[in-house]
Amino acid sequence: MTDRLRQALAEVSAAANAFSEQATDYEALLQAITDSCARALDASCSVGLYSDDNSTITPVAVTAVRPTMEGALEGMLRHPRRYEQTLVGQLAPETGNLFVPEIALSDLRDRLTPEAYNALGHFGVRGFISVTMRVRGEPIGVLTVIQHDTARPPLDDLDREIATHLANLAGFAIANARLFRRMQEEAAGRMSAEQVAERTRASEQRAIQANAFIDAVLENIPAMVFVKDADRLQFVRFNRAGEQLLGIPRGELIGKSDFDFFPKDEAEFFVAKDRETLRNQTMVDIPEEPIQTANGTRWLHTRKVPILDEQGESRYLLGISHDITERKRDMAALERARDAAETASGELESFSYSVAHDLRAPLRAIDGFSQALLDELGSELGEVGRGYARRVRSSAQRMATLIDDLLKLSRVTRSPLASQRVDLGELFRTTVAALQRDEPDRRVEIATSGDLVTHGDPRLLAIMFDNLVGNAWKFTSRRPIAHIALRAEANEGEQVFSISDDGVGFDMKYVQKLFGVFNRLHADSDFPGTGVGLATVQRVVARHGGRAWAHGEVDRGATFSFTLGDTRKA
Amino acid sequence: MTDRVILLVEDNRDDEELTLRALAKSKITNPVVVVRDGVEALDWMFRRGAHATRPDHQIPQVVLLDLKLPKVDGLEVLRELRANDATKLTPVVILTSSVEEQDLIRGYGLGANSYIRKPVDFTQFVEAVRQLGLYWLVLNQPIPG
Repeated sequence: MTDRLRQALAEVSAAANAFSEQATDYEALLQAITDSCARALDASCSVGLYSDDNSTITPVAVTAVRPTMEGALEGMLRHPRRYEQTLVGQLAPETGNLFVPEIALSDLRDRLTPEAYNALGHFGVRGFISVTMRVRGEPIGVLTVIQHDTARPPLDDLDREIATHLANLAGFAIANARLFRRMQEEAAGRMSAEQVAERTRASEQRAIQANAFIDAVLENIPAMVFVKDADRLQFVRFNRAGEQLLGIPRGELIGKSDFDFFPKDEAEFFVAKDRETLRNQTMVDIPEEPIQTANGTRWLHTRKVPILDEQGESRYLLGISHDITERKRDMAALERARDAAETASGELESFSYSVAHDLRAPLRAIDGFSQALLDELGSELGEVGRGYARRVRSSAQRMATLIDDLLKLSRVTRSPLASQRVDLGELFRTTVAALQRDEPDRRVEIATSGDLVTHGDPRLLAIMFDNLVGNAWKFTSRRPIAHIALRAEANEGEQVFSISDDGVGFDMKYVQKLFGVFNRLHADSDFPGTGVGLATVQRVVARHGGRAWAHGEVDRGATFSFTLGDTRKA
Repeated sequence: MTDRVILLVEDNRDDEELTLRALAKSKITNPVVVVRDGVEALDWMFRRGAHATRPDHQIPQVVLLDLKLPKVDGLEVLRELRANDATKLTPVVILTSSVEEQDLIRGYGLGANSYIRKPVDFTQFVEAVRQLGLYWLVLNQPIPG
């Protein structure tokens, strides 16, 4: 064996050692490959690796034996080049292996790109070897040896052998290093023990924060909130509202049971409800329960909820109690008030009945016997006496009208509201028609406009229209041709109705008095009336949740407007 | 012979007098029997008690019934009249001051034939009596028998 061969074997075996030492450090391994190659062959070496789809080759490590070459090779590092642009891709694309011991540059001119040709000339490249590194037949990269030193003998077959051996060794070393790197990356995906510990600490921290959050929420809920453990029904949690309600500090409550605080029968009731909740695993609602506290008996509305563990077993009992003592007291007061109101209403009803029946009877006698007087003794009374008798009659009749109007007013207040769809335009025309029948000689023109369909109690609205339209009719009696109009307008989503006339009107100075009972703006001799009509209108409108108002001008007519609220749901 | 009698059930003497005047003014000449409370009204109708011996040729042509009566009220009288075969078809006109809807509804519900509110104005009252007299005593064909 020649010295040169012996030395070559030694270099290859040293390279194998170097590769295995760097088996776990991918970058260091790549550098070790070009370093070993340069030392073994006394030439510059580079390693280029294929991309995943084999379309490009990227130089990943270089070792230059002469400084002149170093910059050029390192400048190529990490710049991917297409396979067909590499020397081996241009000169031996099929085998991927290239051995050019001595370049005759002029021979290569036609086979290389101008850049490659110029580069070879510029750096004084004399010869090179390219060997494709393969793992199980698949190319993974190219080891290139470049000889540009005139002092060194030209590359020969032994150099090519050595380069081929190194490429084989390097290929396996790279494959192994890649495998190792992938395993490391996979392992990194899983958690290290330290990471697990760190995460546990973080989640404990979060749990503490969440607990503090829940505590803060529970503390500030204005209802008593408590938690009991499912086995012994002892308190494990209590909020501030609970402390205040019972008048017992939390410290004395935790770890205790109902029997420590409440009378035996009460505690038994609570515990029975607790057990029911935990056994059925459903919420139990206790609308009313008394509880003895440091502040006396309170009434609670309590909901009890089972809290289950992951196995579906009841672990805790959550209780939420509202103090309804005040509400209960208010309800009782309300009920008493309602009873009183009903009694009063009943009394009013019988009063109304008496008024209707009992007050009218004497009036009938006054009127009837005045007429009897006129019939039987009229001639003896003389003109003055007959006049007095007639005035007695008319007063009695006026009082009867007054009583009737008051009864209607009280009926408007008492009768329940039966709301339905009502066409006010139709009601308007019906009301006018009735008035026209009584006074066929009057000339009154009517007009309507807008959407007159609404919701309300037809009977009450009829009473209201009798009054409003009746007024308009009455106060236009001096017009040869009177005008009465019903209008509907939408104002801020509300229907506003108005009935206007061109009658005698009124002075706005007295507008406040209009809707009061018995308040009149006109002498009875001018326009007869009882002063109850507009009060009745006001009641009807109020019953519907609406408003009524008026506008007038002396001798220029009056307008009465009203809304009916939203009675569709009533 | 039979008397086509009007039975007036009225506790108020003034109203009684006025009703009689109104009937007279309306030229209604049928005999009028006046009873002053609900018990008496039923006694007369069923010929019992104080009226057990009343002549049976007096056939009530129409009953003018006030509602607010001592002892037994008008609606109760009406109920008993309608419950009895002998009187269930007798015309009954409720003649009252009340216009309470409940009274109207109950009155018609119990089988009243008319419901007339006594007006305060005597002129109107005479007119109302005239019309009811014309209808029940002249135009209406009584049940045979």
